[in-house]
Amino acid sequence: MTAAIEVEDLRKSYGEVQALDGLSLRVEEGEFFGLLGPNGAGKTTFINVLVGLVRKSGGHAEVFGHDVVDEYREARDAIGLAPQEFNVDRFFPIEEVLVHKAGYHGIPEDEALDRAHEALKRVGIYDKREERFDWLSGGMKRRLLLARALVTGPELLILDEPTAGVDVQLRHDLWEVVRDLNEHGTTILLTTHYIEEAERLCDRVAVVDDGRKVEVATPDDLMNRGTDTVTVTLRDAPAETPPLGDTLDRVESVELDGDRLVVRASNGGAVTPDLLNELEAMGHVVVDLDISRTSLEEIFVELTGDDR
Amino acid sequence: MRGLAVGTRALLKREILRYVRRPRNTFLPPFINNVLYFAVFGVILGSRIGSYGDGIPYIKFVLPGLVVLGAVSNGFENASFSIFHGRWNEYIHEVLTSPLSYRQLSFAYVAASALRGVLVGVIISVIGVVFTFAHPGYDVVGVAHPVYLAVSLVAVSALFACFGIVGGLWARDFDYLTVLNQFLIRPLVFFGGVFYPLSALDGVWYTVSLANPMVHMVDAVRYGFLGYAERDPALSLGILLVATGVVFAVDVALFARGYGLTE
Repeated sequence: MTAAIEVEDLRKSYGEVQALDGLSLRVEEGEFFGLLGPNGAGKTTFINVLVGLVRKSGGHAEVFGHDVVDEYREARDAIGLAPQEFNVDRFFPIEEVLVHKAGYHGIPEDEALDRAHEALKRVGIYDKREERFDWLSGGMKRRLLLARALVTGPELLILDEPTAGVDVQLRHDLWEVVRDLNEHGTTILLTTHYIEEAERLCDRVAVVDDGRKVEVATPDDLMNRGTDTVTVTLRDAPAETPPLGDTLDRVESVELDGDRLVVRASNGGAVTPDLLNELEAMGHVVVDLDISRTSLEEIFVELTGDDR
Repeated sequence: MRGLAVGTRALLKREILRYVRRPRNTFLPPFINNVLYFAVFGVILGSRIGSYGDGIPYIKFVLPGLVVLGAVSNGFENASFSIFHGRWNEYIHEVLTSPLSYRQLSFAYVAASALRGVLVGVIISVIGVVFTFAHPGYDVVGVAHPVYLAVSLVAVSALFACFGIVGGLWARDFDYLTVLNQFLIRPLVFFGGVFYPLSALDGVWYTVSLANPMVHMVDAVRYGFLGYAERDPALSLGILLVATGVVFAVDVALFARGYGLTE
């Protein structure tokens, strides 16, 4: 099957700064793919290479099998981009901005107008169609960027920090729109600082740092690599850490903190029943239990060494 | 892939609408300027200057030069502003991330700007007609070679629209556009034979002036209006067309290279 995005050994340097340093990545058609990384990791540079706003220094990049340099027209026609920056034409009402954008992609004017209306309704700002961009609120501007990306009917939708600085309601609205698009076959590439977004939406995520891929996995896979924390509260505080038997081999550490026993294990849920049985066999009475799963954010910090 | 000719038309329409919807910024200033030019140079000073060439009254002699001046300024300003403003606010990305080819981009920007130059040229011509009609001492200015005039005016506007693209891509700030207009375009215009005949210059300056493309442009348009030329009209038009083709090719190459547009 043709990949929606395939890049090999992608490089981009700005003088001494290596923004992309041999990035290789494959995003399958129809996938909801997340790109995580700290500021300056190279996420936006990577996106801009795909859409032609940055010239790569080396390597190879394709969108649906089309080289982004040699077959740039086919590659760009397949992409809808909602960028971080508000780069919208200020001279025209937003309805016309969308009609123009659709026109650049070869969509005849009548159809372009219908599509513009549909896109504006989809993101909930149809009533504002005759306003200019500068008169929209911050949230509406963000919605317009998504509408502009949708108006060309892209096979690949690229969302670069789409929910940065927006309220919770809008964030959920946008999630709903992109999830629906993905369910209907649109490939989505999402960069985000909100780990929760990646956890909720993405089939797979790539963690990128210093212009290189650090890891690619499903959010669940990544989370399974982390360490869970099982906190058992005992009725009577033991004088010393209880001497665990078979369970001890399956945990990473055991600490006693007053009446609380804190156990770290790679799979806390599987270890807990045996742990409780052992404690009860030793005569301890368990009065509370808490299992805290590793968050994707903690994995991310662990992988990139970034504690933002 | 869907029809790309539609894409070219979409960008062309966007570019034309941008200035057509703002006539106070685009068409009113050249209208007022040229009414003043005709009043001062044509009527007040012109009657004292007398005639040039084959007994051509000064108001008629200066008209083609003013048409070229208006067409050139507007063609250049429109293209350079449109490109630079789009870069400055980054909305040119809407076009750059589309499947339009670099040739289509160049064509749409140049054609829209050249059209503005031609429209301003027509406005100035109409002002000239009104002034010569209203002045009892002159015949109404006519068009000696309509086809030649039309081709020349389009070529003149297109050439400077092509230069405007280069300026818009080169500029790093709005100051750059002012610099180009004041220190490049204006001297070329004023030493391009708009207000005086080339024969008024001494030998060396006459030769130096021939390197100024404006000389050929003014001479060509003057031939179209009045049937009077100081240079071979076919040669002037040939130079204009070749220069337009060359600078257009430079525009396409700059877009393809991403000059001023991509990092």
